[in-house]
Amino acid sequence: MSQLIFELSRDGRRCVHLPKEDIPSYSLDEAFKKTDPIPLAEVAEIDLVRHYIALSKKAHGVDSGFYPLGSCTMKYNPRINEEAAALPGFALLHPYQPLETVKGALVAMDHLQQALCEVCGMDGFSLQPAAGAHGEFAGMLLIRAYHQANNDHKRTKVIVPDAAHGTNPASASMAGYDVITLPSNDKGGVDMDALKSMVDDTVAALMLTNPNTLGLFDPNIKEIADLVHEHGGLLYYDGANLNAIMGLSRPGDMGFDVVHLNLHKTFSTPHGAGGPGSGPVGVKKHLIKFLPNGTVIRENGTLTIKKGDAQTIGRMRSFYGNFLVNIKALTYILILGKEGCKETSLNAVLNANYMMEKLSDLYTVAYPQTCMHEFVLSLEHEKNTHGITAKDISKALLDFNIHPPTMYFPQIVHEALMVEPNETESKETLDRAISVFRHLYSLIEADPDLLRNAPTSTPVRRVDDVTAARSPILKYIKPE
Amino acid sequence: MAIYVPNTKQQQQAMLDEINKTFDDLIAPIPKNVRLDRDLNLPEGMSEFEALRIMKGYAEQNTVYKTILRGAGAYVHYIPSVVKHLSAREEFVTAYTPYQSELSQGILQSIFEYQTIMADLTGMDASNASVYDGATAVAEAINMCIEKKQKKVLVAETVHPETLETVLTYNQFLDHDITIVPSKDGRVDLDALRDMLDDETACFVYQHPNYFGILEDATSIGQIVSQSKAKLIASVNPISLALLKNPRENHVDIAVGEAQPFGLAIAFGGPYLGFMATTEKMVRRIPGRIVGQTVDIEGNRAFTLTLQAREQHIRREKALSSICSNQAHCALVAAMYANAMGPQGLKEVATSCYNKAHYFQEKLQEIGYTLTHAQPFFHEFLTDTPISTDKIERHLSASNILSGYPIDDHRMLWCVTEVTSKEQLDGIITLLKEVSS
Repeated sequence: MSQLIFELSRDGRRCVHLPKEDIPSYSLDEAFKKTDPIPLAEVAEIDLVRHYIALSKKAHGVDSGFYPLGSCTMKYNPRINEEAAALPGFALLHPYQPLETVKGALVAMDHLQQALCEVCGMDGFSLQPAAGAHGEFAGMLLIRAYHQANNDHKRTKVIVPDAAHGTNPASASMAGYDVITLPSNDKGGVDMDALKSMVDDTVAALMLTNPNTLGLFDPNIKEIADLVHEHGGLLYYDGANLNAIMGLSRPGDMGFDVVHLNLHKTFSTPHGAGGPGSGPVGVKKHLIKFLPNGTVIRENGTLTIKKGDAQTIGRMRSFYGNFLVNIKALTYILILGKEGCKETSLNAVLNANYMMEKLSDLYTVAYPQTCMHEFVLSLEHEKNTHGITAKDISKALLDFNIHPPTMYFPQIVHEALMVEPNETESKETLDRAISVFRHLYSLIEADPDLLRNAPTSTPVRRVDDVTAARSPILKYIKPE
Repeated sequence: MAIYVPNTKQQQQAMLDEINKTFDDLIAPIPKNVRLDRDLNLPEGMSEFEALRIMKGYAEQNTVYKTILRGAGAYVHYIPSVVKHLSAREEFVTAYTPYQSELSQGILQSIFEYQTIMADLTGMDASNASVYDGATAVAEAINMCIEKKQKKVLVAETVHPETLETVLTYNQFLDHDITIVPSKDGRVDLDALRDMLDDETACFVYQHPNYFGILEDATSIGQIVSQSKAKLIASVNPISLALLKNPRENHVDIAVGEAQPFGLAIAFGGPYLGFMATTEKMVRRIPGRIVGQTVDIEGNRAFTLTLQAREQHIRREKALSSICSNQAHCALVAAMYANAMGPQGLKEVATSCYNKAHYFQEKLQEIGYTLTHAQPFFHEFLTDTPISTDKIERHLSASNILSGYPIDDHRMLWCVTEVTSKEQLDGIITLLKEVSS
């Protein structure tokens, strides 16, 4: 167990020193002045370094080992991306510098927007949203602005499949929409009859992930798009799973009007243990004018930053998005190029199908057809017969330095394990993981307690989440 | 070039053979009517050497100013070397959200420490793990305050314009009534605030120091709002908290802000770090990730993501926010920065900013740049300018100095932090004298 930084604190210890003050002192009115001590730890530089190195050793990144976390696309994050983003000509720019002094930044942003348009088959992109869910929210606002501009005020509903990411319904709801849930059919796709019965002139949009969270490409996508469009609704594409289809198929060609991407998934920017990501939102022509302020646009041939016009949805945040993350993604796209995009997706699909096939004789694959970039296992049967859950298998994987798949999602599969190997893993890594998965399966019969007691090699054993939520301790309190 | 795919062509073929499929079989689930039947219209892939050359070419088209006197929401501070090095540790950079606690104790503990720092600095009971930036933190805080019978939101005119714009964007299709509280001589008009507060007011939002760097009368605002049913939201600069009374002392219910000054590069506006801290009473309404302390089955201290019943993956359309990925790595940097600075270091930074800004303001005053509002300020202040701001900007730019931010043709918002020396400030005054005369 590591001590908290606050427990390492000793009165009077210092790390950083500042230059000697060369300026006279100015007094601050007592009415504003802080009177109590500043509540921070006092540590030396060596304390700080050892503390964080110890913490880093109790963490697991893509660089530490296999990370088949479904829907999160934990691919390798190339070092070159970091080097590009650290260039002073990007990292040291003030967001309010005169535009003529940041021409290269605007060109880079425009370059990325154009490339994303081509990969997705869209006509315009904004890099403003800070993450996927933020992009979704922007997308919902765009759709609402579109209907509003058409004086179409009766559209109050957004249809979201039951297998969708939780962010989808939450984002629709933030834009003031009522959410209706669309069931999946027995093949894991959109239930066409249910959709037909739902679509009418009160529906603003259908939000879809394709391939969906089961890793399946919807065979009826064109019909779905036509159906929604016939009734005046728009199609929203959740780009979390774009890694499966680059250069193979494009959301724009499927009929989607709005998309968001997660650059920290498909485009290799590191996830940083929970961000910063980047969630660009892309649109077809008829929605371009609604894009947020802070977007790089071309005006009379010159690049500039959109400031405000009557029809924009406004601004999603301050400034122009997570700029340095966007720089990393552009670097990655340059290196991939056209053939690299396609090979990336083909190999993501190959790795997923290979792994699925090699596990399918033991584990139950929830929808055992050819998958795209991910597949979902179900431990429901094993839970019923042996009391071994998806969580047990996951925790046991930790002892083999494998990050578990996404657990208990999508919710339509019971005891789900959603596996996304991604293209940057080698056959050797997959083969090892496959043998670990198979070994763990054999323990269900042979030694179930070993699974129930896992993990044993991690810095802590199974963590009590219930107590954490019941009596929350959310910050360190110094003992009296 | 798919250079990040480790499998050789032979291995790919071997894998295909083993599962008895071809690449065509694998993409068969994509219906023909939506297949891309051509190559993407992108250039060929390239080596990282070539890609870096292009990126350097872009970077070199930008001006990197040696001296920056511009803030307006993005502040240049010294970033300790140790912060840059430690935060680049790959386990922090390449991990996902710490869903698997047993494998993520280091990350969870670092977030728990970040939460403690932000909660303690603001005087609040709890903090979340971060939101996208300071502007969205305000928008999210407003959402926490809305009640069935309280949907009126008051926002001070003196908040950052982009914060206000973000708030309006977030609320445009909701039945929330966003009203601006006017300012009087650069600060919140307290009489107007008093008049506008009513039983239907959900909250009042102000920024302290405000957009013009001015210190609001936070004590009076706190007293006025705490006499109403409305909640009080303050957007604060974390550096200033080393000198100023904390939000809790000023009766704030939700303290939010932009923590970019805590160790993050100005980076053309992002990634930055929105922080949110609140009272125990309101913590179950706070959006985003929260880490809590608990124990493992052996009774050892352990950390885990908690209070997840608030979040989108559980509550779906009933969640107050859709936020999932946040700015975790930026929060890690901010915590490292605070720990590296310590109480004494942070106080020195804040004091140095305060003194240098006041020194520079005094010198500017002597050459005819008068304070637009004669109000107390922290490290930013607004002056009228004797010549057009455009001329000032161009003249200083020629010496590789980014001037204050032109609010309009004759008013400039100046910011001075600890990184600019007295000698530099004196030099700037000399340059300004040249252009003013």
